[in-house]
Amino acid sequence: MPTDNKRVRRPEVSQSPSVFACRPAAVLPAAGPRADGRRRDQVDVRPVFVRCGLVSQAKGSAYIEAGNSKLMCCVYGPRETDRKDETDMKCGRLITDMRFAPFSCPERGSWIQGSEEKDLSLMLQESLRPAVCLHRYPRSQVEVNVMVLENSGSVLSHAITCASLALADAGIEMYDLVLGCSIRQDGASYMVDPTYLEENGCSSGSEDNQGRLTVAFLPSLNQISGLQSDGEMAEETLTAGVRTCIEGCYKLYPVIQQALAKATRKAAPPPSES
Amino acid sequence: MATVQVSEAEKVYILHGIRDDLRVDGRSCEDYRHMEIETDVVSNTDGSAKVTLGHTVVLVGIKAEIGKPRPMVPDEGYLEFFVDCSANATPEFEGRGGEELGTELSNTLYKVFNNKRSLDMKSLCISPGEHCWLLYVDVLLLQCDGNLYDAISIAVKAALFNTKIPRVHISADDEGGKEIELSDDPYDCVRINVENVPCIVTLCKVGHRHVVDATLQEKACSVASLIISVTHKGTVTCVRKVGGGSLDPESIFEMTEAGKRVGKALHAPLMKLLQQEESLGKKRQKVGFLG
Amino acid sequence: MASDMRLPVLRKAVSVSSAGSDRADHKDLVVPGDVITSDPGFMRGHGTYIDEEKLTASVAGEVERVDKLICVRPIKTRFNGEVGDVVVGRITEVQQKRWKVETNSRLDSVLLLSSVNLPGGELRRRSAEDELTMRDYLQEGDLISAEVQSVFSDGALLLHTRSLKYGKLGQGVLVQISPALIKRQKTHFHNLPCGASIILGNNGFVWLYPTPGQQEEEAGGFYTSLEPVSLADREVISRLRNCLLALAAHKVLLYDTSILYCYESSLPHQVKDILKPEVMEEIIMLTHHKLMEQES
Repeated sequence: MPTDNKRVRRPEVSQSPSVFACRPAAVLPAAGPRADGRRRDQVDVRPVFVRCGLVSQAKGSAYIEAGNSKLMCCVYGPRETDRKDETDMKCGRLITDMRFAPFSCPERGSWIQGSEEKDLSLMLQESLRPAVCLHRYPRSQVEVNVMVLENSGSVLSHAITCASLALADAGIEMYDLVLGCSIRQDGASYMVDPTYLEENGCSSGSEDNQGRLTVAFLPSLNQISGLQSDGEMAEETLTAGVRTCIEGCYKLYPVIQQALAKATRKAAPPPSES
Repeated sequence: MATVQVSEAEKVYILHGIRDDLRVDGRSCEDYRHMEIETDVVSNTDGSAKVTLGHTVVLVGIKAEIGKPRPMVPDEGYLEFFVDCSANATPEFEGRGGEELGTELSNTLYKVFNNKRSLDMKSLCISPGEHCWLLYVDVLLLQCDGNLYDAISIAVKAALFNTKIPRVHISADDEGGKEIELSDDPYDCVRINVENVPCIVTLCKVGHRHVVDATLQEKACSVASLIISVTHKGTVTCVRKVGGGSLDPESIFEMTEAGKRVGKALHAPLMKLLQQEESLGKKRQKVGFLG
Repeated sequence: MASDMRLPVLRKAVSVSSAGSDRADHKDLVVPGDVITSDPGFMRGHGTYIDEEKLTASVAGEVERVDKLICVRPIKTRFNGEVGDVVVGRITEVQQKRWKVETNSRLDSVLLLSSVNLPGGELRRRSAEDELTMRDYLQEGDLISAEVQSVFSDGALLLHTRSLKYGKLGQGVLVQISPALIKRQKTHFHNLPCGASIILGNNGFVWLYPTPGQQEEEAGGFYTSLEPVSLADREVISRLRNCLLALAAHKVLLYDTSILYCYESSLPHQVKDILKPEVMEEIIMLTHHKLMEQES
């Protein structure tokens, strides 16, 4: 287990007070509307607020808010990299890093990157890689850093969307935007774009078909660039879930396009009078 | 993963071969290589297994320890996975080279087992909130020749089948506390029910078709692969896309269907083999690493 | 959709050594530290060292004696090239005016720009333009067949492809085996009667490819055909590949006759079954019998 030598060590055993709470663990209601008013079994994504170009130092940046989830992404590069092997001569490298702020989740996290964060960074890289035209940047590397300020569910899918916006804002050549969408399967019904409680809550209903699924999608090219699921589900449910996520991505597409166009217009110099 | 260099002409040859369902070594697209499984190879562990798939060799050792259960689930035990890519496997793993691959493999194993059905965690509880069994599953890659996920998952299932957890009795102490007693008989142990433990199938997309159990050369020709873990009933516990390429939604559905078919068919012969090995008992001639 | 799972079984290697025939010069096997002789009249060769006037072996291998020279040849070794050897190698680096080639030896071999044939068979001095277009001809990862021109003092090999039969290799399968198993012969390029061609590189790299048609005899292998290979040829090549691996696993010397006998013995089995241990043993036994018959 990695230990943090740079900061003052907290007592070895400290727990969040929620462990001592008398309330039982959050249980999902079996049917009916969801906690925030959205419906089950419908492609109901949370309204999304997006802004590009927030961080002036970074080449490109984006901020996304979906419900209570808040994420920020910065892109640096392309920068020259040491030539490590022959593949670097032909195309560039994409380095991704996804971190959670310690105060982002209900339980305090640590600053050292845990294995879950490494896993999410890897998923982020695999989802973005097919979309970026890395062969245009030989011997260079592009760095994408995502910071989760508040984790209120579907963090990975929003991180993917945010990162592709930041890449577009940085002027990196891409084949298409990458959009992410996730669902939580609970028995026979599903919830699109789940909140933190919906994602991690245990079900009160049947034990069958419990799982979470995240899909990264390129809308214009109709290609899936990232797919991850866990929890036990039947294959048909999984297939249906993937189709639902694709629909969710299509719903998100116009909003993201508009935000990007707005940011580009703002950044562009005014037309010259002639 | 260890990589090999392949020339453009070789890639074209492999691509056309897979399109015609005749791979370089004569297999069809959904055939596995020759596989050998042996359990109980390391005596210091509570359960162990060694799997040889082609030239890939994986060794899994399981140790059971008594510890405190997790605060959120006080009545369940849990598993800890760790995958070590040793430098013996290939020079690329020297130093910290194998660390990234090891983390990726362990994270996938956590996801695969992250559901209520695969293993009955409640049976690992000794006294709720205070003591439970922790199973440390340590995977060692001895030789790397492609298709690590499949070999590791089969080895983990075989090792879990082989695990013998000693029986414990809780008795009340003089001061009212609980005392744990291990039974004296070394053969008095609890076995784990591994019926629902899933197996991982890796499908590599090469051209327009997919292959199961790809060699390193075939992997060099593919842009993306799908890892799918399937139980014996055909339910899916984890799906992941790996690799730097993108996949068509239709191909994903096709590959999931194929993965489910292949994965489901793996379980029956595996359980039969493990039970056959168990029934040999003391008469079994242990091969270990000398074969 | 077959998965062949089984329990491991201790297998004894099929003894292919000719037990019947007695050899006059019975070879001795030594390990590092074994004293070969104390006679001061012998000169020491590779693989030995002198320790207190005793000639001692420094590698594990066979003792070879030529008149007064004693050397020990290790059984398992990297490829030590000699002038005139045919090798199959893979390009690892493109440098200024030369390519670095990996040939399973201690050091990467060198192929100079002046040692390759230009397209069309032109004979002229290489210009600066040729240097810039080096990557168009041979890139990293490409396979070539070449001949050893000379050996540098540090052991690196200098290769050349100045003949129509050498050059870039097209579609086919590469099999890597130990260099000690390749028999030295007059020619290493064979067109096997079963329908495929083979290049037995002395460095242990064996290249299997479909026999080119008459009209495809291009100069220096510049044009690599990317047409799909027919299914029949493909099956022959896969079968040959598995046979080669089976022969290598049982330490049989590889040359065109042994490969052909092995191919014939394997015909009753399916291609993918050849690598199963019991089928492999059977095939090797049959091959061995045929070779013995042919010798006598």
